[in-house]
Amino acid sequence: MTHGLWNLRVKIDGEMILDVDPEMGYLHRGIEKISEDRHYNEVITLMDRCCYVAGFSWEHLYILSAEEALGIRPPERAEYLRVLCDEFQRIGSHLMWYAAFVQDIGLMSPFLYGMRDRDLVLDLFQSFTGARMTYEYMRVGGVRNDVPSGFTDQCRKVLNWLTDRFVEYDQLCLGSTIFRERCDGLGLLKAQDCVAHGVTGPMLRSAGVRRDLRKDRPYSAYDRVDFDVAVADGADVTARYLVRMEEMRQSIRILNQVVDWLDRHPGPVLADRLPRWLGAPYAPIGNEGYLLKRNYPKGVGFSAVEEPHGEAQAYTVNDGGEHPYRVKFRSPVFANISAARQYLIGYHVADIPPIMGSVDVCVGEVDR
Amino acid sequence: MEPDDIARQLAPKLGDGLLSVEPFPGTAGRVRFRPEKALDLFRSVRDDLHFGHLSMVGGIDWVDHREVFYVAWSDEAKQYVFLSTDVPANAAHIETASSIWPSANWHEREAWEMVDITFDHHPDLRHLLMPDGYTFHPLLRSFKLHEPEELEVKSRRV
Repeated sequence: MTHGLWNLRVKIDGEMILDVDPEMGYLHRGIEKISEDRHYNEVITLMDRCCYVAGFSWEHLYILSAEEALGIRPPERAEYLRVLCDEFQRIGSHLMWYAAFVQDIGLMSPFLYGMRDRDLVLDLFQSFTGARMTYEYMRVGGVRNDVPSGFTDQCRKVLNWLTDRFVEYDQLCLGSTIFRERCDGLGLLKAQDCVAHGVTGPMLRSAGVRRDLRKDRPYSAYDRVDFDVAVADGADVTARYLVRMEEMRQSIRILNQVVDWLDRHPGPVLADRLPRWLGAPYAPIGNEGYLLKRNYPKGVGFSAVEEPHGEAQAYTVNDGGEHPYRVKFRSPVFANISAARQYLIGYHVADIPPIMGSVDVCVGEVDR
Repeated sequence: MEPDDIARQLAPKLGDGLLSVEPFPGTAGRVRFRPEKALDLFRSVRDDLHFGHLSMVGGIDWVDHREVFYVAWSDEAKQYVFLSTDVPANAAHIETASSIWPSANWHEREAWEMVDITFDHHPDLRHLLMPDGYTFHPLLRSFKLHEPEELEVKSRRV
């Protein structure tokens, strides 16, 4: 949920919205261009900055496509660790959204509850990556390091705490007259419009479409964990709230299974026999230094993950050089905002904050 | 869905507009087509193959030519399909897909400003991420980023 980094040009007649035109680009850093000048593992640093509230999901996305392009497979424990990162990240991102969204519509106290609980997730991230937002944890071929001892017990404590919080969240929002009056029936976007305009993620599922890449096109260890796809059928702001809340409950369900698996299956977290150039790109080999000609593979990689905001895709083209030839990312929020005309026109000016809030805009990944 | 299935269904409608359908990692296949037949292909992929959801449009600058690629998703097959075509670098243009898939609108705006591919009959082809009036196309290979500068440290006389 980002404020202030983009403009929405609105044409109005009195209080009625006649036309809208989102203006993006204020946060454009040229991540796709910079990636063409970087070594494969150095791009990970940029991915954290793509969406700064869901850094792990973007790392995972890039890593999957780079591994495909380079023909590298990670060990199983690394796949489970990536799922752990992704799902905790989903909870963190949705809690951040919850906190910012309810504040936008005039409820102050849920902001404090949301941020308080998101901090528990960030504490967990800090304990095994050293960072709270920009992790640089995943690597081509696995992850950087294993989790510390006692980590899984700490996870269980956080998960138990979070499980009991949803009653509180719902009472604060669904039980509030302000919330219901400002959200019910607003920002309608029916299923066929969602599909035509490329809208994905919680917005699409709130229109009753049961589509989740974790189920439909499983990656990493998602085919080995048990969970349900959260859907609602209101297609409005309240329905999007309900879908995100249910997604967090399902994430907790996935995480409980992952944590149990991690306890039972110790092992390596980085593939052995990685090509030498991948581990230390600029370390000299022999006396020739980094001028030595190395055998970079050729290939393309395409990956798609279910990010907290929707479907993100990465396409890596690799022409046998030291850097990716071209990296293209598809941001789910980019598509969700591009459909703004469909869900804003016909409503009132005062409806813009709840409707745009329910989209969960992260400008970092729209502008890249 | 396999590449052969796609080729069998598309070939009668497109004729020589369809160049090949080859396996492509993570998708049902990669369809190579002639840019003149773009609209027929898009319509056929959406209506006959039921890829109703266009996810992404992008361009690659291969210096001597440019590649335009499209990724679409089918809810029935639960698969992606990859469409790609080559346009000459000195006349890089192709028909817009936004009349078939409205979601192409912004993706094509981005591809136009980044890789300089013009989308004919696009409803709203103007800058999206770059400021208005920006004349460069950053994702072309001819657009060089600055090399990291080496700063010369002058020894200071004590």
